[in-house]
Amino acid sequence: MELRRVEESVFRVLMILSLLIVVGSLLAVIGTILWKGLPVLSIDMITKTAEGGYFLGKGGGILNAIVGSLYLAAGGTVLAFFLSIGIAFYLQKEYSGGTKLSNLTRLSLDILWGTPSIVYGAFGFTVMMYFHMRASLLGGIIILAFLELPIMTRAMEEVLKTVPRELKEVSYSLGATRLETTLRVVSKQALPGLMTGVLIAFGRGIGDAASILFTAGYTDRIPTSLFDATASLPLAIFFQLGTPSPQVQQKAYASAVILLVIVLAISITTRFLSRKYTKYIIK
Amino acid sequence: MNLRRLKDNISSRLMLAATVFACLLFFFVLIGLYSRASPILSAVPITDLLFSSEWGPTDGKFGFFPFIMGTLWVTGLATIIAVPISLLSSIYLSEYAGNHLRNIMKPLIDLLAGIPSVVYGLWGVLAVVPFIKDTLAPALGVETVGGYGILAGGIVLAIMVFPIIISITGEVLRSVSQELREVSLSLGATKWQTIKHVVLRKARPGIFAAIILGFSRAFGETMAVLMVVGNVAKVPSSIFDPAYPLPALIANTFGEMMSIPLYESAILLAALMLLVVVMIFNILARMVLIKIERGVV
Amino acid sequence: MSETHIQIDNVNAYYSGHPALKNISVKIPKKQITAIIGPSGCGKSTLLKCMNRLIDLTDGITYSGKILIDNEDIFDRKTDIINIRKKMGLLAQKPTPLPMSIYENIAYGPRIHGIKKKADLDTIVEKYLTLVGLWEEVKDRLNSPASQLSVGQQQRLCLARGLAVEPEIILCDEPTSALDPISSQHIEQQLLKLKNEYTIVIVTHNIHQAMRLADYVIHLYLGEMVEHGPADEVFENPKDERTRAYINGTFLADVKIDKVIDTKGNQCPYNFVYAKQALHSLEKGQTLKMIVDDPTAVTEVPRGMEADGHVVLSVKQKNITDWEIVIKKKG
Repeated sequence: MELRRVEESVFRVLMILSLLIVVGSLLAVIGTILWKGLPVLSIDMITKTAEGGYFLGKGGGILNAIVGSLYLAAGGTVLAFFLSIGIAFYLQKEYSGGTKLSNLTRLSLDILWGTPSIVYGAFGFTVMMYFHMRASLLGGIIILAFLELPIMTRAMEEVLKTVPRELKEVSYSLGATRLETTLRVVSKQALPGLMTGVLIAFGRGIGDAASILFTAGYTDRIPTSLFDATASLPLAIFFQLGTPSPQVQQKAYASAVILLVIVLAISITTRFLSRKYTKYIIK
Repeated sequence: MNLRRLKDNISSRLMLAATVFACLLFFFVLIGLYSRASPILSAVPITDLLFSSEWGPTDGKFGFFPFIMGTLWVTGLATIIAVPISLLSSIYLSEYAGNHLRNIMKPLIDLLAGIPSVVYGLWGVLAVVPFIKDTLAPALGVETVGGYGILAGGIVLAIMVFPIIISITGEVLRSVSQELREVSLSLGATKWQTIKHVVLRKARPGIFAAIILGFSRAFGETMAVLMVVGNVAKVPSSIFDPAYPLPALIANTFGEMMSIPLYESAILLAALMLLVVVMIFNILARMVLIKIERGVV
Repeated sequence: MSETHIQIDNVNAYYSGHPALKNISVKIPKKQITAIIGPSGCGKSTLLKCMNRLIDLTDGITYSGKILIDNEDIFDRKTDIINIRKKMGLLAQKPTPLPMSIYENIAYGPRIHGIKKKADLDTIVEKYLTLVGLWEEVKDRLNSPASQLSVGQQQRLCLARGLAVEPEIILCDEPTSALDPISSQHIEQQLLKLKNEYTIVIVTHNIHQAMRLADYVIHLYLGEMVEHGPADEVFENPKDERTRAYINGTFLADVKIDKVIDTKGNQCPYNFVYAKQALHSLEKGQTLKMIVDDPTAVTEVPRGMEADGHVVLSVKQKNITDWEIVIKKKG
């Protein structure tokens, strides 16, 4: 056999091997978490809040972390949504005119996208100290919104770019304003994509720990106001794993399973979205 | 009739405000961190900060060298592991795999990107650390600190970086025109020769950008690394040593012991360092990707 | 000549610096069909999109001059373009239903212009769907997505949608090029019927369509207006050589080719150099046909030749890769 064919075969084997490693890692991560976490997951675990402090508290469940995480991520996502949708709309040609501002915004969003969440956390905490704010649900929501902002905006902008220009032209030629065109035609056409962007950002928000480490705090209770500290699933995993008590560590496994289920649900929903809500869409 | 114009006008102003905010947000973060980090920058010479190994905040000693080296070791190892595996996978998916396999892999890779970093960290603690402690280290006859260290951090980080490099490389490879491949194949080149000499050469800047973005993600990753890397403030000398990367330092110590002079400032300097490095990497990579998008490269 | 409806005055347009329209000045008559003809890439669609300023949505475009409609300059930044656009329906090249139901497609325009009552909207929908001969076909499924209609039906729906905002002008950008012959005929008949009520501007590269429909003709060539006038004059006795070449069928039957060169495989500027050498060997007024396959040459060779004073008679695509450029030596 020729040398070049041998080379091709060798690389083919290496490529398939690499792909197997990638898929294998994913299965190993999910498998390990489920294997450790499912046995300790019980009804009590997800319906009761923690008892006895997060570090040594063996009693109760992780409801405070589940609810806290949902509050944080939902709040952050709502806040980020209003900013992102405005920015994504504005980056369309008819608003920004393809100007320097839109290029600068894209660059800025790209840098924000790459900014480590611990940096957001440190920055957020510094600002909160400046205003004498304590770690709270509100602080966590704001920082998560910043973290989600670039992810959501870029996803939305990509989707808006795929809206055929002809559709906009039709709307404008009928005498519609930019807002009418954007809300009634562009958004309608881009709806599944916009929702996917929101969900991806939500997933990123609910899984992030470093940004809320200092800004949202941690507590055994479910927060009752925006100014209460709140627990969260990622931090529950982090703190509970660090305790010497095996029972508390098991709570970390349960938290990880819940978090993984949420992430999986988001992943499946985004697949599903790209098929549904497409009844009127023009291909 | 005028109400329509008014709505259009007001909404466009609100959108503009949001856009300007996004532009400024990065500068807020940069300036905010800089202003809080400036006390230590004026109190301690920059060369000491960067190259001294003495870390004793209570004695006013702030040498970041062990942390910087810790970051570089972990990130470097993760990149060395992740780059060949990601590139080979990506090439296989875009050049060899059929549509069916590609459609299966896409959501899996997205999922890999979506798994929270603490979950990766937990997996590292449950699977990678015991493996190194009980199997790998005894087999190689090396000492570890209970399996925690750079190797564990590097492996976990590498997996977190896979989806970034794979998906960006995939996009870059797809942007190489089909005609180019056909030309090479019609000259009698094998598929692999075509990939090696034509496709990869054309895609080189983009792949470079993908690696940089992966590296920069690894550079700032906090929780997963923090959980498995050992956190010992010493300059590492092998991949079995523990390390203490910058993000872990921030996460572990920020908010505590704030009464020590300059301590907060030092930690925020660490955050500033991360931000600046990541910013440079991102700008570099985006420049390349934008050029590719415009068809310049 | 009848009353002027759209007055185009010294319009220039540039795509990122490249001229797309050069000094266009022409008056478009009221309640007639005006056809803008010319080969692909000659600026026909650009001119059309200038008229309702949809050109603003294009990247890297700059334009100057004046277009007056009812004495309002639509290029003036102070002009309310939304009102102007309401006066002009657009029928695009590809049928473009909005992502909504059939009913909502028609109701979209009237609704944004303030008609809210369901009964009024129902009347409008029925009226305009009937006008384009679509009512009987779709009255039972008004709420199904417009994208489910056939391509021909979609185009008639688009026409009805444009008419529903009660425009005075209808702009058509190659409205039948995506349609089958029967649907095309349908649309053409509609347009002929509508010209009693509306001013119609149609961009087409189909010379026969222009002959069937047009009362007035504008011939654009590489961004320049080479000829304009009443249709019968232009078609029967074109003054410009390029118009004659264009009209005379596909389209060079009459033009005697004195020399043919094949520059396939060559890139700019070599194909240009070869063409100049070939022209050098010809007499004044003789014609050269060259075949090129370099995309840059398709635009750059004609530009270069015209800059040298030669006359480019036609630029035509032969197949996927090859183009044919016919040049007449200056003299």
